[in-house]
Amino acid sequence: MSVMDLSLLIDIFVIAMPLWYAGVVLLYAFAFFGSDGRAERLKTLFLNATVVLHLIYIALRTVAFDHPPITTVYEIMTMLAACISIGYAYIELRTKTRNTGFFILLLALVFQTTSSLFIKDLTEIALILRSRLLGFHVSAALLGYTAISLSAVYGVLYLMLYHQIKSSRFGLIYNRLPNLEMLEKMSHKSVVLGFWMLTIAITIGWFWLPRAFDHFSYFDPKLISSLAIWCLYAIGLSAKRQFGWQGRKMMIISVVGFGCVFLSLTLINLYMSGFHSFQ
Amino acid sequence: MNLLSIGISHHTAGVDVRERVWLSVEETKEALADLTKRYFNECILISTCNRTELYGMAPDGRVDESELKKFLIDFKKAHPVVRPEHFRGDSASGAVNHLFHVAAGIDSMVIGDIQILSQVKEAFQISREMNALGPVMNRLMQSALHVGKRVRTETAICEGAVSVSYAAVELANKIFEDLSKKSVLLIGAGKTGELTLKHLAGRRIGEVKIANRTREKAEELAAGLGGSVVDYEHMVDALCSVDIVITSVQSPAYVVQPEDVQKVMKQRSHNPLFIIDIGVPRNVHPAARRIDNVFLYDIDSLNTIVDKNLDQRRTEIPKVNQIIKEEMTDFFNWHNSLQVGPTIHDLREALEAIRVQEVEKNINRFSPKDRELVELVTKRIVNKILHQPFTNLKRGAENGMEGSETLLRIHSLRELFGIGRSNKNLEEE
Repeated sequence: MSVMDLSLLIDIFVIAMPLWYAGVVLLYAFAFFGSDGRAERLKTLFLNATVVLHLIYIALRTVAFDHPPITTVYEIMTMLAACISIGYAYIELRTKTRNTGFFILLLALVFQTTSSLFIKDLTEIALILRSRLLGFHVSAALLGYTAISLSAVYGVLYLMLYHQIKSSRFGLIYNRLPNLEMLEKMSHKSVVLGFWMLTIAITIGWFWLPRAFDHFSYFDPKLISSLAIWCLYAIGLSAKRQFGWQGRKMMIISVVGFGCVFLSLTLINLYMSGFHSFQ
Repeated sequence: MNLLSIGISHHTAGVDVRERVWLSVEETKEALADLTKRYFNECILISTCNRTELYGMAPDGRVDESELKKFLIDFKKAHPVVRPEHFRGDSASGAVNHLFHVAAGIDSMVIGDIQILSQVKEAFQISREMNALGPVMNRLMQSALHVGKRVRTETAICEGAVSVSYAAVELANKIFEDLSKKSVLLIGAGKTGELTLKHLAGRRIGEVKIANRTREKAEELAAGLGGSVVDYEHMVDALCSVDIVITSVQSPAYVVQPEDVQKVMKQRSHNPLFIIDIGVPRNVHPAARRIDNVFLYDIDSLNTIVDKNLDQRRTEIPKVNQIIKEEMTDFFNWHNSLQVGPTIHDLREALEAIRVQEVEKNINRFSPKDRELVELVTKRIVNKILHQPFTNLKRGAENGMEGSETLLRIHSLRELFGIGRSNKNLEEE
């Protein structure tokens, strides 16, 4: 296949991926809101197809542009969307929670759409970004952010269900979601995984970045925001351990934490300059 | 169709009447033996706390409804409490329709009641044991059970708790993942409280604790459920170590104050606490509801759930009626096929199909001039095979052989040659 064909194929994928995701999200919506039997049966199949398609897309980009798509914020976002779908496919395979897909894949759709809108075909990248340590740093951060995203979705679902149960207003959420304890457990498990992954990512960054970048500064906004997020989760997790915080309070922390992550990923990356941007 | 049905249910009579015609398994068997001797070739009796119903196939329609009513009243020596006016009566398609409504659970006191189907099944088995079933009733009961099964899987008529105690259990299941790892404290051993506790115990709740003003009663209940007894005075302390609390205390003032709950929540490191307050007047101060991770439900909020679920069930009735309609069509198609005419037609078609198939397969082995002859000979063979059985069948029907005997012959014929949709298929489903 010539380079031209390859880049055309990638262009098709860039347009098709968000559409495909939208289709899958729609299918999950029918299964959840409409209790549609056919959607219920087909959804997992389509989810698995999504995972495969996304992996092909990532592989194509890696081959065509000679680097894994982890060098710009939009490349990271498509990776994040892929990780979320893979993570959720795993959850559907291994746990009894099969009714939360709509909410989680909605997040993947947001990430994939943002990525597709702005992603560029970038073949020339800074030498620094070819380091092996970068691979570890980014992988850990990606896994961390994925886990934190999942945790936040489960946190939101927990809060919605909590509210319905508390106020005796039982709607669709009440009928279709699993129980509070399970939602909390899912959220907590993912947040712990996310926290340790972020810890690894930050530790690698801490030692490797000063050596890698000329203009390195510990006061870079990206660094500070990452550290702040890490602290927030550290405080939340130790509060759980120390004071036995649980239920609503922990879920709020999880959702707020994700809000900060999202802001850090988008606003700070886009509008504040620092060395930790890759273009 | 000579199907007759009479019955007493919560629609037609109060419990004082219904209880007088309730039949135990032994009584049911005895009555079936009598009924088959005196009135019916095939017959079934369904008796539950909400209904006693009789369905039977009368030979030549000679049985009168009023005779049957009198039989049941006499059998139970229920005169004069039970009178013929308390009964409902149906025949033919009306009776089938009624039975299907019963099996579907939409004739029950609580719509979508799950129990009724197993009761119908039990009645079916008793009749079978007593040899009181023939082809029609057998098929009818199987269709009824099929209706029940379809209703259960294809509609949501049985979904959602429709009693206060089940509503509490349903809520517990929405809060906690695994009830067997949770513990429950019952404060005050009142009737509804006890019932709720028993429903929870039925879902294999972990540990059971009971606190009651009179300790003996608590001990008695605890012994029955394998639980332990807590001092009534120390019940607030006991809140620390349980996940679900049921209160049903007769007390003019609140037994549990918000401050108590606040304190307890701190001690139990904010582990979710589900409080079911079914005392009237209420036992737990409603302000406790505002505390984080405390889920407080009183009798009114539980009733809201019940009402909502009942409404939800009612919206499913059109779907259930559609299923009943389909199954009735199916049943009557089968029943009509039991006539002599259609059976002869079906059997002839079946054999003709075999003949045509075999002839087509082998026709090339014959020379063109012989082919016409092959057609003729094979046709003649089929006709000869069918001649004797058909003559016997027709003669039996014309000579006024017992209706059920003819039915049985036709039924066997259809079974043996695999014509139409047999009982077997239905059972396998």
